[in-house]
Amino acid sequence: MRRVATFILLWLMGIFWAVPALTLEVPDRPEGRVTDQTRTLTRNEIAALEQKLAVFERETTNQIAVLLIPSLEGDSLDDYSIRLAEKWKIGQKGKNNGAILLIVKADRKLRIEVGYGLEGALPDGLAGSIIRDEITPRFKAGQFYQGIDAGITAMMAATKGEYKAPKKKGRRSQSFPPWSFLPLVLFFGIFAFLNFMRRRRHFYSGDSTGWTTGGGFFGSGSSFGDSGGGFSGGGGDFGGGGASGDW
Amino acid sequence: MNKALVVLIPLVIVGVLVIGGFGIYNGLVSAQEEAKTAWAQVENQYQRRADLIPNLVETVKGYAAQEKSVLEEVTRLRSQWGEARQSGDISKSLQAAQGLDSALGRLMVVVERYPELKSNQNFMKLQDQLEGTENRVSVERRRFNQSVLNYNKKIRIFPGVLFAGLFGFERIPLFEAEAGAKKAPTVKF
Repeated sequence: MRRVATFILLWLMGIFWAVPALTLEVPDRPEGRVTDQTRTLTRNEIAALEQKLAVFERETTNQIAVLLIPSLEGDSLDDYSIRLAEKWKIGQKGKNNGAILLIVKADRKLRIEVGYGLEGALPDGLAGSIIRDEITPRFKAGQFYQGIDAGITAMMAATKGEYKAPKKKGRRSQSFPPWSFLPLVLFFGIFAFLNFMRRRRHFYSGDSTGWTTGGGFFGSGSSFGDSGGGFSGGGGDFGGGGASGDW
Repeated sequence: MNKALVVLIPLVIVGVLVIGGFGIYNGLVSAQEEAKTAWAQVENQYQRRADLIPNLVETVKGYAAQEKSVLEEVTRLRSQWGEARQSGDISKSLQAAQGLDSALGRLMVVVERYPELKSNQNFMKLQDQLEGTENRVSVERRRFNQSVLNYNKKIRIFPGVLFAGLFGFERIPLFEAEAGAKKAPTVKF
């Protein structure tokens, strides 16, 4: 009886230990474009990279994200990377114009994962030479920031131009033409006017019950224009394109 | 009035069943189509890899012409795969693709003996591309298996199973990873 219990216990432990060891959990999609779980980069370095990628996204709508993790804990780099890509969904929906630079510090491995939409501009061979020529020589010298910076610079140069920012769709959040607010203004104007009339009438008739419904409307307007600086979007699909390397 | 109800109620029930049946049937068809599309993606990736081979063979030849037998084998298996794919027989084309897999694996082992070739820029790019397509194959294979699992489940569980039998929806076999493919490491306590 005891043996059975021990066996079951071991079996259960086997389940709970074996599974995470095989498939390392992918972190949730972060707020920023550059995530360093290894504390390799300084705050300023992260900010500089963020800034670069944000500007690039504003110009091209292409999204590039960087993730540094300490170790794969026995998981396969390619598997982890595609699961990461499927979870984060970097890139715009429909354009699939995202790419991820994944660095595993203790394993000394890295991978550039390329979304479907960028495979033409950043083919596997090019991703491979970016890794070999730009990134790993610097990593070998311990210059992680310089390596990442050179890597994303090359990735940006490669993918520039493949997706030009469309004229109307997708950029709406950044530059609302002023007249697009006109219907809204009119609507609220009429509403406010009616409100005012109502109030006045109430006032004259001596009715003391307040008329307060109007206020709520104006407050909700603020959530409209998502600023271009945020790391929004998402929905890009990946199919395993890109290249891996080590240092 | 009563008579009308007696006629109407079964009619409504039959109507509801038929309309519900449409939905279930359509669900089965679209799940099947998804699996087919996923399979086509797998084949696309194999095609992509096959397209790389002539260039790869040429490059290797330039440095390692004496490795004729491996190179010829790769070329032969590539055209064999092309024929098998043309025939439309899934299991045949899969077998050919796996044969090509192992031949390419052998070629890559041979290549290790030629440092000059290994440091050739063109060859390195080809290797990246080859690895890339292999990774794509495994991604598409996993997606294929997911859609097949979904479909196979639909034809086995309750409302679907009635229609599956009626209209001849058959189980699709999963795409097992070939022997010698990269496996997840074993766990030790």
